Amino acid sequence: MSIVEVERLSKQYPSFTLKEVSFTLEEGRIAGFIGRNGAGKTTTIKSMLNLVHPSDGTVRYFGLPIAENEAAIKQRIGYSTGTVNYYPKKRLKDLAAVTKTFYPNWDEAAWREYLQLFALDENKAPAELSEGMKVKCNLAMALSHRAEVLILDEPTSGLDPFSRDELLELFLMLKERGVAILFSTHITSDLEKCADDIIYIRDGAIVHAADTENFRQKLGEEGETLEETMLRLERSVRHA
Amino acid sequence: MLKMLKKEIKLSASPLSFIFLAFSLMVFIPGYPILMGVFFICFGIFQSVQRCRENNDLVYSALLPVAKRDVVRGKYAFALAIEGCGFVLMTVFTLVRMACMADAPVYRTNALMNANFVFLGFALLIFGLFNLIFLGGFFKTSYYFGKPFVTFLIAFFLTVGVGEALHHIPGLEAVNAFGFTEMPLQLAFLAGGVVLFILFTAISQAGAIRHFEKIDL
Repeated sequence: MSIVEVERLSKQYPSFTLKEVSFTLEEGRIAGFIGRNGAGKTTTIKSMLNLVHPSDGTVRYFGLPIAENEAAIKQRIGYSTGTVNYYPKKRLKDLAAVTKTFYPNWDEAAWREYLQLFALDENKAPAELSEGMKVKCNLAMALSHRAEVLILDEPTSGLDPFSRDELLELFLMLKERGVAILFSTHITSDLEKCADDIIYIRDGAIVHAADTENFRQKLGEEGETLEETMLRLERSVRHA
Repeated sequence: MLKMLKKEIKLSASPLSFIFLAFSLMVFIPGYPILMGVFFICFGIFQSVQRCRENNDLVYSALLPVAKRDVVRGKYAFALAIEGCGFVLMTVFTLVRMACMADAPVYRTNALMNANFVFLGFALLIFGLFNLIFLGGFFKTSYYFGKPFVTFLIAFFLTVGVGEALHHIPGLEAVNAFGFTEMPLQLAFLAGGVVLFILFTAISQAGAIRHFEKIDL
């Protein structure tokens, strides 16, 4: 069942255009959103969350368009940018204390669990955390209100290999609970470990969106890893 | 909306927004343009807007489970709360001055605006101008606030100039009434201030919501 439907999402900037991006996200599946820097991943994700005002297109969660159901939908989804970039001097406990008042589903036990899992000290402020720890902090916030859909913009960037592996394990655990996850990355080895679907974007347009097997069959060559496939495709465009 | 207001107070608000409410005591300063107290209360709100931008609060707020327009309403609710507190304090101090100090020589020889209901009407007008020009101007970009603040300053000083000059115009001396005299005139100015405050704030908030909906965060 599609719980996220992105239809013909477009956004025009003076020097970049997101061109009719369409894909779906299924319940209990992990989708990797890949593409080079500047390909349109963040613009797509921000448009999906109404942070960027799309020029055209619709985004539906649970069958409801976000444009008319923003508050209700945001209760059921979790979002994380790469790092915490707000209130750098506020302690995590103070940020969480305010944030949780907006979520009737806030799970304090889960919050404590993720703090422990990610070795986060809630008495520290984001400015005192490394980039990797900021990612974890953002994720802990996103995961603590029992989101049914997680939309994560480059969550593994800045994480050490061990933490990245832990995070991917966590994704697999959440998937078992039926949580749908969309995460953008340019670290394609992350996808090899956990992605069910791959959405590949280039120059603001979706090149291909399919399950991992179909994606490999359609775009990959014999014995290629995803990274090699992506590199070959990007090089072929650059040399064309 | 209450949650947004609490969020504003706990996270975004600058302590100066609350501390500067004390400038409502300027109502008691003789021989001083007492409308400056209103400016300082507005300046306290300005400090919170500045703090909000420094902390990337609009992105944080837009990620909360609220509609984007509620982020704007939260900011206005906070500004209105501070303005409301400032106005209540100024009203109390004005009433004290009108009731107990109307005949005090320091006020009787005051060449500037007296603390009365006309003053309160002008105070509301200035709060309304702050909402219209500064808050509305800030939300046009949700980032730049220099130009809206300078524009507000110009409007503020012009308003103070008009307020201070009015009672020097022959026939309008009654505007600067002491105590509870000339009540119909005083209350007419207060009512005018209320109407303009509501009008300016409503126009400003509607425009701010419209702009913020289209802003890319």
